[in-house]
Amino acid sequence: METLGFLIDGFGVALAPENLIFGLMGAFLGTLIGALPGLGPSNGVAILIPLAFSLGLAPETALIMLTSVYAGAMYGGRISSILLNIPGDEPAMMTCLDGYPMAQKGKAAEALAISAVASFVGSLIATIGLILVAPVLADFALSFGPAEYFALFLVAFATLGGITGKNPMKMVVAACLGLMISTMGIDNTGVQRYTFGVLELYEGVDFILAIVGLFAISELLFFIEEKAGGGKQKMSVNKIDLSWSDIRHIMPSSIRGGILGFIAGVLPGAGASLGSFIGYTLEKKIVGKKGYFGQGDPRGVAAPEAGNNGASSGALVPMLTLGVPGSGTTAVLLALLISLNITPGPLMFTQNADIVWGVIAALLIGNFLLLILNIPMVGIFVKLLSVPPMFLLPIVTMIAFVGIYSISNTTFDLYFMVAFGVGGYILRKLEIPLVPIILGLLLGPEMEKNLRHAMDLSNGEWSILWNSGLAIGLWVFAGLGLILPYIVGPILRRRMKSEPSSVNEGD
Amino acid sequence: MTLNDRIFGVLMIVLAVAYGWGASQLPEPFGGSEGVGPDTFPLLLAVVLSLAGLYMVVQPDPDNAWPWSRTGIELIIAVVVLVLYAMLLQPLGFIFSTILVVGTLCWRMGSAPIRAFVTATIAGVVVFLLFGFALDLSLPLGVLSFMEVG
Repeated sequence: METLGFLIDGFGVALAPENLIFGLMGAFLGTLIGALPGLGPSNGVAILIPLAFSLGLAPETALIMLTSVYAGAMYGGRISSILLNIPGDEPAMMTCLDGYPMAQKGKAAEALAISAVASFVGSLIATIGLILVAPVLADFALSFGPAEYFALFLVAFATLGGITGKNPMKMVVAACLGLMISTMGIDNTGVQRYTFGVLELYEGVDFILAIVGLFAISELLFFIEEKAGGGKQKMSVNKIDLSWSDIRHIMPSSIRGGILGFIAGVLPGAGASLGSFIGYTLEKKIVGKKGYFGQGDPRGVAAPEAGNNGASSGALVPMLTLGVPGSGTTAVLLALLISLNITPGPLMFTQNADIVWGVIAALLIGNFLLLILNIPMVGIFVKLLSVPPMFLLPIVTMIAFVGIYSISNTTFDLYFMVAFGVGGYILRKLEIPLVPIILGLLLGPEMEKNLRHAMDLSNGEWSILWNSGLAIGLWVFAGLGLILPYIVGPILRRRMKSEPSSVNEGD
Repeated sequence: MTLNDRIFGVLMIVLAVAYGWGASQLPEPFGGSEGVGPDTFPLLLAVVLSLAGLYMVVQPDPDNAWPWSRTGIELIIAVVVLVLYAMLLQPLGFIFSTILVVGTLCWRMGSAPIRAFVTATIAGVVVFLLFGFALDLSLPLGVLSFMEVG
């Protein structure tokens, strides 16, 4: 049991006092960010990255803090779903279906507690899954050559939109834009590309400011346009009245949801939204007529919550083992790894074993911390929900400025960040996804390097890119990732849409 | 209407051509040409982007409305304020520029002016102190620099 030894070492890293403190802080901040409507996990992690970076934290500490933020935000997302009927992000959508009716019946505290327990179970299952699957996948990935990696990057792009994505061609546009920005600066051969003689561009565009601009600044502009929120009636939270038999009642649903979520998270392109969706639908099928789904059935809260938390830990598997993120937030975490000079991928498991296993152990510990934070302290988060976004978003913007400024101490980067924000706003209006841009920025240099190596190996013969069975398999997979949304997407989206409406009809 | 995607698609094709042309102008690396030069990857991207742009022209999605009129002006104000923030941060110092910028944003987003600027003042001072003392990072003092000790 080699893995077990590594994991024990990992606990040694994660339990170091500094790491524990930053983990706890991350979990708290993450829950807060997740709870506030309008700020999802990717936003939260994006805004906190420059701060973690400028603090000069050790790599494993920074990574532990931000994975805790990620896990915390997935926990927090349910709070506004249950109390306000506003999902903090897409994966939290299914939690509204039974969570809000429970709150309307005066069972808000129970719904919150159930969702915390289910989130815990989902994350725990997925973290155990991660421990079992990741080393195997990393071993397998060691056999990848440059051609396979090139194809793997294409898979990452092609499946990023997910099978529920709308227009895959827009994903291609976004990926190209990101990759194009990544070619700015001095390339491997020492040639300047697209620097226009500007000194600041010689090192290329820093993806952290691109991420913060695209996520945080565009969110502010979007809010100004919509001026929504703030006017919703908030539920009051009663005292928790939850017995062991209640927990036993939801346990099977949580376990099933967690396993489904983990699978959805590991598979490229599926992600947390699908995790919570299949978690909920399967549960409804299994329980059948005996349940009262849509009218506040606790199992309808537990299954999707376990599903989306399972999926978020599952999404770390491809990110850690292949260096290919499966979701927006894991893409942001990947940015952190790269800026800490750690190359994600199979080699990380041998070269930076302490970091990988430290993070995995921290994830386990984080789950317990979050459970402890979330049951007694839920009242604090509920209070914070009443901060109106018109104060919140300007302050978040300020923090984004501070973070970016304190990395480089120049204002040049700030103009760039604002420009990315405006660009992000325009692209979001055109329904062009932002995550592929970031992924392009991140993976561009690696992709070009692998292309170059592959071509060197073959003396300039392009066919090397599809010369092995594995490479062909990956190309086919990438192709499917682009074509499937046209076929399966509309059906799936219609079903996900019809689910909430059928609830209103008392289905 | 399906105009937005068409215009954007055309813009993308223009961008792809300009980008591809830029790649073709890149000098050959020292030591002669290789299988993959500095221009190979950009040229690939230019081809893919122009095809995707063409697709958007031929097969556009329905439009989202652009916020003309008042909301549009609010958005422009917000962007101008953010650019001002970047400009003023060093000369004016963090606290004053934050009060100005965060206050204006809160106010334009619907808060009463006094509450907006009070919130901004608290936020600016708290973050400044937090950064200066707890995190040991210095933010620009600007016009307050006479207060600097040591």
